[in-house]
Order: sequence, then structure tokens, then C-alpha cells
Amino acid sequence: MKYVLISFFLLFSTGILAEQNRYVFANDEQAQRFGELTKELRCPKCQNQNIADSDAVVAKDLRDKVLLLVKDGKTKDEVIDYMIDRYGYFVHYEPPVTPATLVLWVLPVLIVIFGFGFIVFRQRKAAVKQTWNDQDEVLLTKLIAKNQRQEQN
Amino acid sequence: MNRKFLALLPLLAFALVCVFLFQGLFANPREIQTGRLGQQMPAFNLPDLMQDSKRWQESDLKGDVYLLNVWGTWCPTCLAELDYLTQLREQGVRIIGLYYVQSYDSDFDGEFDIVALRDEVSTMLGRAGDPYQFNILDLNRTLALDLGVSGAPETFLVDSKGTILLHHTGDINPRVWRAKFAPLMQELKP
Repeated sequence: MKYVLISFFLLFSTGILAEQNRYVFANDEQAQRFGELTKELRCPKCQNQNIADSDAVVAKDLRDKVLLLVKDGKTKDEVIDYMIDRYGYFVHYEPPVTPATLVLWVLPVLIVIFGFGFIVFRQRKAAVKQTWNDQDEVLLTKLIAKNQRQEQN
Repeated sequence: MNRKFLALLPLLAFALVCVFLFQGLFANPREIQTGRLGQQMPAFNLPDLMQDSKRWQESDLKGDVYLLNVWGTWCPTCLAELDYLTQLREQGVRIIGLYYVQSYDSDFDGEFDIVALRDEVSTMLGRAGDPYQFNILDLNRTLALDLGVSGAPETFLVDSKGTILLHHTGDINPRVWRAKFAPLMQELKP
């Protein structure tokens, strides 16, 4: 009896979940592409929100357009290019590598390389080579003996 | 020499960061340029806002330089710029309105009430000034999307061959006109 009840409630709850999913796709792959695209495309009005997140009119329009294009069988890159054609590179959260944005990629690497280079350079300079010979040995014994005598006094 | 330069390096880096952040203070993040700059006006076939039978296509707009002003009665900044746009019209600038209907969805809202909208538009333009040669009604915001419009007001400067030369987000006022539009207009009309 308990299991019958549990399975009944489980069935019921999945029914609610299915209802919440507003978008219907031909296959899972399209659903996944739509999900990825709406998270990757940036809302031109509510900046710092993606179009999945934003309630702006333009974000809804872009979502509908993405839905249409995905259902049309367009690939991810085709949809992104479609949006960039209209809204510029701003609309995609992954800026392309251009002369203007190259600094974003190159600068961190340069900072790391120069930083480590600087540390290594300083350490090499600081590490003076140690030498030890018989004369030093004699001097050391003398000093120890002298010190011990002082302590005895 | 080398040591002196090394000692100055942090100061130099600091100065560079200062310059970068300082100009960021005055940057406008809303200033997004459409991906359509330098391209032809996208194809469309949309109804006139005021007349039922009239439809407009991109080829109808060619022949003279014009401003395409995206606006709506729901948008307070659009109302604010109407006065200056009307002055521009009086100076001979051709301004075409693209009426941006906010969030109309045929699946939910039923039939669109065009009579009420025309009434609203006439009242607002009658009171604040009418800069428009005519208005194109973009009910589903398809042309707006093709142009990379993110809201209203936005204005495009298009030359006589239909090439989009400028995209301005926000209102047009004398300062914006002098800085962005006037130099281009001068080039276009010698």
C-alpha cells in the first residue's frame, strides 16, 4: 500500500515538472543548445544578465528568436553569428580575439612570466656562493676556543 | 640606469591603471553600436502606423538622407526629445519614426488595439510636436531586432543609398547632435 502511494505521488510530481518546462523541442540536443545559447548571449538592455535571466522586452525577443533558429536546426555558431550581425560582439559573453581584445589574453600571461622571472632573478643574485677551506677551519676553531674561555671566566 | 627604470616601473603601471579607470568614469555602457554599421538597411515590409492600407519597404526610404528614430508613447525619454527633433525637422532633417510597441504578444494579448494606439500617438505628437514624416509600425519588433535595437529611444542615420552610418542609443539633444550627427550630416550634404 505504501509503495503504491509513493509511486502515485512520484507520478504526480513529475507531471508538475513537465508543466513548468515551457519550451518544447523535437529532441534533447535542441533543448540543450537552446539552454546553452540563452546563457551565453548577453541582454543588450539589462547588461550583466544573460537573456535567459533577463525580463527585458529585448531579452524576450532574443529568446524567441533563438528558439526559432534552434528549432530551424541552426547550429550554435550560426545562432551566435546571427545575433552578432545585429547586436555586435557585445551580445556574446565570449569576446573574439581581435587586436583590441588581444591584450586580455596576452597581459595575464606576460604578468605571470615577468613575475616569476623577477623572483628567480632576485634569488639568484641573493644566493652568494659559499666557500670553505682549511684557513677558515683554523679560524673557526680559534673562535670557538676563545668563546669557550670567555664563558668560563 | 636599469635599476632606476625598474624602480619607476610600479609608478608607471599605476599611472596607466589611473588613465584607464579615469576614462572609464565617463564611458557610457549603454552606448552599444549595432552590428549593422556600414551595411544596408535590412529588408522589411511593415504597415504604416496611421493608415491601414499603406505598407513600407526598405526601398521606399532610399533617395535622401534620413534619421530613423525608434520611439514609443510609453517611453518618457522619447517624449523629452520630441521638441528638439521637431526643431530639426523644421531645419530640413528628414525623420522617419519606427514605432516600437513594447511587449505585445499575440499569443497572450489577443488582438492589438490599433485605434487606441493611434489616438495616443496623435495626442502626444499634437502636444509635444511631430517631427516625423511618417511612422512605421513594428508590432512584433522584427525590424528592431534586425537593426540591433535594445530599447527606445534609439536613432539611426541612414544615407540616400540606404547605408547605416550611425547608431545612437538614448535621446537626441543639441549636444549629441553637434557631437555625433552634425559632422556626418555636413559631409553628406555639401
